[in-house]
Parts: sequence; C-alpha cells; structure tokens
Amino acid sequence: MQKKKICMVGDFSVGKTSLTQKFVNNVFSDKYLTTIGVKIDTAEIDETKLIIWDVAGRDSLSPINASYLVGATGVVLVCDGARSSTVSDLLDIWKTVTDRIGEVPAVVALNKADLPEWNIDVSMYTAFEQRGWDVFATSAKEGDNVNKMFEKLVEKLSS
Amino acid sequence: MSQIEELRQLIVGSDAQQLAELKERIENVEKRAADVAEVLPPAISSGLREDGESLVNALQTPVSMSLKQAIRSEPEEYAEILFPVMAPSIRKAISQAISSLLVTINRTIESATSVQGLKTRIQSLRTGVPYAQLALRNSLLFRVEHLYLIDRESGMLVKEVGSDESDSLDSDAVSAMFSAIQSFVQDSFSQDSSAMLTDLKVGEHNVWVAHGPTMMLACVIFGDAPEGLKTDLYDALYKIRTEYANPIAEFSGDSSDFENVDQFMQPLLQLELKDIDAHAGKSPGGDDRELKAIKKRKFFVALLMFGVAAYFAYKWLDKSTKINTVAHYLREEPGIAATDIYWQDGKLVVEGLKDPDAKVPYAILQAYNIEPDQLEFKTIPFRSLELGMELQRFRDELTLPSGVYLSAREGEVYLYGEAPIEWLSTNEVRIRQLAADRRLTISRLSASYESVSEVLRTNFNSQDLVGVRMSSVARDELTVVQVGGVLDPSNLALLKALFAGSHWVDVTATQDKEVN
Repeated sequence: MQKKKICMVGDFSVGKTSLTQKFVNNVFSDKYLTTIGVKIDTAEIDETKLIIWDVAGRDSLSPINASYLVGATGVVLVCDGARSSTVSDLLDIWKTVTDRIGEVPAVVALNKADLPEWNIDVSMYTAFEQRGWDVFATSAKEGDNVNKMFEKLVEKLSS
Repeated sequence: MSQIEELRQLIVGSDAQQLAELKERIENVEKRAADVAEVLPPAISSGLREDGESLVNALQTPVSMSLKQAIRSEPEEYAEILFPVMAPSIRKAISQAISSLLVTINRTIESATSVQGLKTRIQSLRTGVPYAQLALRNSLLFRVEHLYLIDRESGMLVKEVGSDESDSLDSDAVSAMFSAIQSFVQDSFSQDSSAMLTDLKVGEHNVWVAHGPTMMLACVIFGDAPEGLKTDLYDALYKIRTEYANPIAEFSGDSSDFENVDQFMQPLLQLELKDIDAHAGKSPGGDDRELKAIKKRKFFVALLMFGVAAYFAYKWLDKSTKINTVAHYLREEPGIAATDIYWQDGKLVVEGLKDPDAKVPYAILQAYNIEPDQLEFKTIPFRSLELGMELQRFRDELTLPSGVYLSAREGEVYLYGEAPIEWLSTNEVRIRQLAADRRLTISRLSASYESVSEVLRTNFNSQDLVGVRMSSVARDELTVVQVGGVLDPSNLALLKALFAGSHWVDVTATQDKEVN
C-alpha cells in the first residue's frame, strides 16, 4: 500500500481539524495541536494510506510551522468561506508551502458552506482554479464534499 | 562415375571423407551424445566463469523440477542422504526448545509461589491487566518492544518490527508524530539544525533514536537497556543504509522495496530478564554464595510473612472466640436476649434486648479475659418474664425473712415456708396481688406459730392464754393459722382486733359462757 504524507493548512479556526475528523482514524488527542502545533491522523482511500498532518492554524502572531510541511506530497488548503480574509490568506500560505517544499498537488476547501454568511468572491474562485487547484465547497458540520475532496487529492497524488 | 562426381573428387579430394564422417557424427544420435557429454562439463565451467547468472537462471527451473521429481520418487534415499546434515540441527533445535520450556516452567512456578507473584496477582486483579503480561514486565530488566525505521524528512514509516506482546497504535501515525516531536523539539530548544533528539523517557519506557542522513531508527524500550544497544542501533542503521542505498534515495512512501529490511531490525528486539537469569548470565559458573544469600533472604521474608500471618490469624481467632464466649454466657443469663455481638473500635458490642434487672456475668467473662469495660451494650430495655428474672426480682423486692423461700418449678414461682406475721402483714397486699396475677404461687406460705405466739404473748397475760390453741388449715388456696380456744369477752375482742383483716390468721376462739 502506498503511503502519502499530506498537510492540512489554513488560517486559525477555519475548520481544518473538523474536516479531518470527518473521515480519519483518530490516534492522538487534539491537545497536540495546541502543544506541539500538529496532530497526526491516518485514513485509507483505495490503495493509498494518507498520513494527515493537521498543522495548527496560522494567525497574526504565529505563522504555520513550515518544518512540518517537509516531505508532504500534497496539501489541503482550508479557508472559511464566511470570512473573506481567510480566503485571500490562502495565497500567502501557499507561498510558505512552495518556499519550503515546492509546488505540490493541492486542493482547496472553502469550508463552512453550511453557514448563511458563506460567500465566495468569483474572482478568487477563478484565481484558485487557474492555479490548477480543485476547489470544493465543504461543510465539516454536514460532511458535504469532504470525502470527495480527499479522494480528488489522492487522485492527483497518484497521477 | 559421372563427370560431376569426378570433378568433385578432383576439387575436394580427401576432404570428402571427412565430410562424410562429420555427417555421420551429426546424424548418429549416440555419437552426438558422446560429443556433448565430452564438452558439457568444461562448457558449464566456462559459462559460470563468464556469465554465471545467465547459466544459473537457465538451469534453475530444470534442476529444481528434476530435484522435486527425484525426491518424490525416492524420498527415503534422499532422507538418508540428508540425515547426517539435518539431524544435528533438529537435535539442537529440540534441545533449545526443551531448555527454553524448562526455564519458562521454573519461572512460572517461581513467580506463582513467591511474594512477588502474589503481589502481581493482586495487581492483576486490581488493574485488569492479564497476569502473564504483568509477570513478564516484573521480571524484565529491559525489553526492546518496537523498532521504527522512519524517513526523516517526511516522518513516514518505512518499516516497523515489534515484539508480539506489546500493543501498538497506528504505526504510521506514531512514526509521523514522533517525527513531528523531533521537529518541535529541534525548533523550540535548539538553534543548531544538526542537533537531534536522541533519547526520550516516558515512565518505564525509553525511546532511543539513531539518526542517519535520511533515515532514523527509533527504538522503544521497556526498562533500562545497556548503553551497548545504542551501538547496535547505529550498526543496524549503517547496514540498512549500505544495503538499501537506492530504495532509500528513491523512497516516497512505498515500502515494498524494504521487504527484507527487518533482517537487520529483528536482532535488536532483545530482552533481558532479572533475578536468576540475570545472575546466571553474569556468572556462568554459578555464584553459589549469592544464590544462597538470595534464598536465605527469601526464607526470612517468608518466615516473617508467616509470623505476621500467624499473629493476625491468632488475633482473629481470639476475637472470634470471645464473641462466642460472650454469646454463650449471655444466652444462659435470664433477661438478656442478644441478637448480634461484634467487635467495634476494640469493644465487644452487644445488640438486642436487656432487662434493666438482668445481671451480666462479668465474673465469668473475666475468667475468659473479657474485661467489663470491653463490653458495650447497645440494647433496648424490656421486662423479662423468665422465671430466673422473676425470682431475682421477687428476692430484691420482698427481702425474704428466714424460713421463707422462693423457688421455680415447672414454670411456676413458689413462695413458701413459715413467715413472721409482721412480714406477712407488711407485704400482704403485694404478695396477694402477685398471686392474683399468677406470677407467684403461695399455697404453702403461712404465718409461723412463733410469730403468732409472740403477738399473743405481747398482748395477753399468760393466764389469759390458757386454753388458746393454734392449728394450720388450708383454705382458699392459702395455709391459714387458726387461733382457737375460749376467752372472756374482752380478751376475745382484743384477739380479733389484733388479727382483723389478716388472711394468714383466722380467729376461731369463742366466748367463755361462765362469764355471762
């Protein structure tokens, strides 16, 4: 079985951990996120085992710990569709990723699609797609598109 | 001979014969086989020298098939051939298995019968962890439980080996988390990027890590392993790096190229046991004195344990005996109905019913080392109608004069004898009331002649008493003293007045006729 390391990245409180929880084997407690800044989970899709590094969210005080990105073969860029700043921040985060590990396959989760305030600027959506990213309107709460998003990433990693 | 034949004869001449011979050699199977047999051995030798792999590959299948066929058709012959080679190995394996079994049996017996064994059993009951697992842990000096070969960059697990008994989380997640901790520690505490986390201690577990340029070998150890194990770790990592240089360089999550890497990791799954094995290991000749000292210590510990157990057993027996003694003597005592007797805070507590007039047999209990202050009565007071209690109560209440007795017989209390008339008069109401309540039988109680005479002597002149007679008669379930005779009118009036109202004395005397 192939094993692939992927990283969940995005701003603080955009729902990275909630998305991960939707379909993983829970191994460690969430407390690791606040202590060492990352939590590892695993999940199997077809013949691929994903080692998912749920990296603690970025905020104005602490950037994401890029050393956790090393060795990742793909990333899930997560933003909160109800907070436009987290959407535009994805480009900054992507720069951090590429600076450290280069261009790797990526998918975008426009999370919290269940909220009425969820609203995505079309130009931003287009900008994401032009970069070759597959964009998913996800809801960690309802489970919408979560599996589909991870499956797409695995497909991109295998090709 | 045709012209062509002649021409051929002229051109090839003597070669024609050689050609014919060659033709025959090719066409004749026997001759050809002889030729091949002649060149086959040098051809094989030459093939091995020049391109051994191709030859081996070419021969592998037919040789293997032939060998299988041959063994199938003549198994006994092959068994005979192999026996000298196989037998010693089999013997060695069996003897190793037996000695290992003996060690296991010895250890099991030892652990099951020792104080440590008992403690382990209690610990097992308390924690729910199987006894065998705890016993093994307690007898371990150290054990390498898990080895993880991890890609340093991605934290991905390349290979994992573990001893069977140890539990494992998702190894991929564990190795990734381990790698994350490594990064975290490095980022947080060291500016030097080459500084590595090499040791971790968590409770009784140690994690030692050997770092290579791209791989690290993390070793999870229960207990305290010797420092030499670190060298073994680095040796194993070095061998892996050398043997798997290409797969390591190309590793991107596919572990299939590392199928046999555990041959370098398995030998590191060592364990060492404490106590007897450890001692035997340190002094192969057997350090008798040390073993004797251990046995002696164990003997004294056992003796001490026995002494303590015996003391507690004696205390328990003593307490239990005292309860039985108190129960026995209280049961015999009227007016006490003990429903429960038990020890509490060093005192014997008696629960039940107790008549306030009941007497606790302290004197008897003291003879059994039960002091009065050791007894505590938590009883409900009640009035007991047991004969013994009634007797006791009547004795206290009536203060019996001499000649009057109380006794119990066939469920009844008898008050009998000859009583002074004064005493009878004083207690008359009470005695008759008790008799009416059927608590006393007084049919054989009477006034004594002496006391009646005394009354008469006190109140009359002796001449007046001439002719006065006393006798006893039974009347209305009483014994009555009859005073008869003849008296003058004034004396008769006095006599009747003296005993008026008495149930015990009946005046039957009559008036002297001469006086009239």
